[in-house]
Amino acid sequence: MRTAAVLLVALAACRSHEAAPPAPKPAPLAHATQQDLARELATADRQGTWAQLRQRWQGQALRWTVTRYRTLCGAADSCFVAAFPIERPAKHGWMPKLDLSQAEMAKLDAKCPSAMCEITFEGTLAELAASPEQPTSLRFANVHIL
Amino acid sequence: MKKMLVAGLMLTGSLVANASSHREAPMIAEDQYVDNTDVYTFISPSDPNKLVIVADYVPLLLPSSGPNYYKFSDNARYEVYIDNNGDAKPDITYRWTFQSQTKNGATFLYNTGAVDSITSPNLNVTQTYRLEKIDEHSGARGVIMDGVPVAPWNVGKRTFANYEQVALQAVKSVNGTSAFAGPRDEPFFVDLHVFDLLGVGGSHTTDGLNIMSLVLEVPINEIASGGVRPASGMTGKTSVVGVWASASRPQLRVLRKGRDADDYGRYIQVSRLGWPLVNEVIIPLQDKDKYNRSQPKDDVGNFGAYILDPEVPKLLNAVLGANCAPTPAGGRTDIVGLLAPNGTTPADMLRINITMGQTADQSHFPNGRALADDVTDTLLTVACNNGSHIGDGVDGNDLPFSQTFPYLASPHSGNP
Repeated sequence: MRTAAVLLVALAACRSHEAAPPAPKPAPLAHATQQDLARELATADRQGTWAQLRQRWQGQALRWTVTRYRTLCGAADSCFVAAFPIERPAKHGWMPKLDLSQAEMAKLDAKCPSAMCEITFEGTLAELAASPEQPTSLRFANVHIL
Repeated sequence: MKKMLVAGLMLTGSLVANASSHREAPMIAEDQYVDNTDVYTFISPSDPNKLVIVADYVPLLLPSSGPNYYKFSDNARYEVYIDNNGDAKPDITYRWTFQSQTKNGATFLYNTGAVDSITSPNLNVTQTYRLEKIDEHSGARGVIMDGVPVAPWNVGKRTFANYEQVALQAVKSVNGTSAFAGPRDEPFFVDLHVFDLLGVGGSHTTDGLNIMSLVLEVPINEIASGGVRPASGMTGKTSVVGVWASASRPQLRVLRKGRDADDYGRYIQVSRLGWPLVNEVIIPLQDKDKYNRSQPKDDVGNFGAYILDPEVPKLLNAVLGANCAPTPAGGRTDIVGLLAPNGTTPADMLRINITMGQTADQSHFPNGRALADDVTDTLLTVACNNGSHIGDGVDGNDLPFSQTFPYLASPHSGNP
């Protein structure tokens, strides 16, 4: 019985830590950049507000300028881009994954024929993994190369 | 009711058994028995049709650490993975699980007399293991061997007149696969003073220490894609295999007053290792524990920027004035390339050419990793990238390696 009580308390503690607030529809973040996301990730790390962060960002239509390296973005189904320029050293490990159609991949190759270049895209942040347990990762769907 | 509550706790996903190289991340440093320290893989020196895989755990062990000498954890899974098609996902998993036995609980002694055989009644505390092979595509799981003895700790000269003769009785071979589990001399050589503001100066800080080793030698055609070893000269994704290791713990542990703890839930990965030194010196503190819980297939998305733009050269310049080249504006795509030979998905795993005709002499990091490879110097030189050789001043192991299975040197004696 005592064990059961301890487990109940633990369960309650865990739930309150990650409890999602009542869900008002998040405001659009059309102009939010990767730097904004990085700042909010740091805040979530300090304050434990991971659920709020995911709710606020996931599903948002965003326009970001990133760096495309051909070695890491060489196919429509395997395209990771650098969210930040070389910082000597990198402050964040994550590299957004772009889900590209073959047509968008062709557009990307045409705009960026070299080993590395800056590109701007629009897309929906379809998945944002952000938690105290797992590494941060992002996946954009409906990606259009601008 | 109790079971329901436990199930509820597991469903929340909030309680995670977190935690892994040698004490390289904060959480794994608190869980020594599952700390994966190094992985090696090389074409067998004794049979070029076989691949040798070594996965080491439990770092920096003093030989005289009695009376409860080091072993593997009974409530953990130790696994080695093979990616044979270049997608950075496991195609074959080898899994070790361990069980300890005590013959006489009424004594504190590890052994109650001299030991001349692995089945000696004087060996009071023993451990056995099961080795399974899992086909990750079909889910088929087969037991390769079971009830196999772990080699005993090298307690000292009063216990063992000939320790290595006893230890080698722990080598078991079934249908061409050979396995060994037990203490060995720590094969990794490095000047650990590197962590005192890069204060390297050739101190052999891992000499005289032991490690717990899992050693496996398997026919190459059993791990190759489609069960067929690629022909000599092939250069596609299936001409290499990726090898990495991990350890996992049950998700939930309930401590009990008056009896042993209970473990519940699915197994959670708490440690992983492919290339040497990645989590030590590439991944920063904020992500080290998360790295240990993650999978190689996700490495680019999770940690790619750390590889493209590493911290090490800046530190070498700041502290040692090493005159390393600045990270180029285009990032370190050369390092990414080393992690992705033959068009494979970039990921932290040792990749080795398994085509016909490959020999042990060709198995040197980053094409696999041989026991004697000075990976610290290699990686510092690659990281510094200024055309000069950078090293820690420690260029070899304290003991010679063997040319026969299990290849690692006999562990240091607790009482030489």
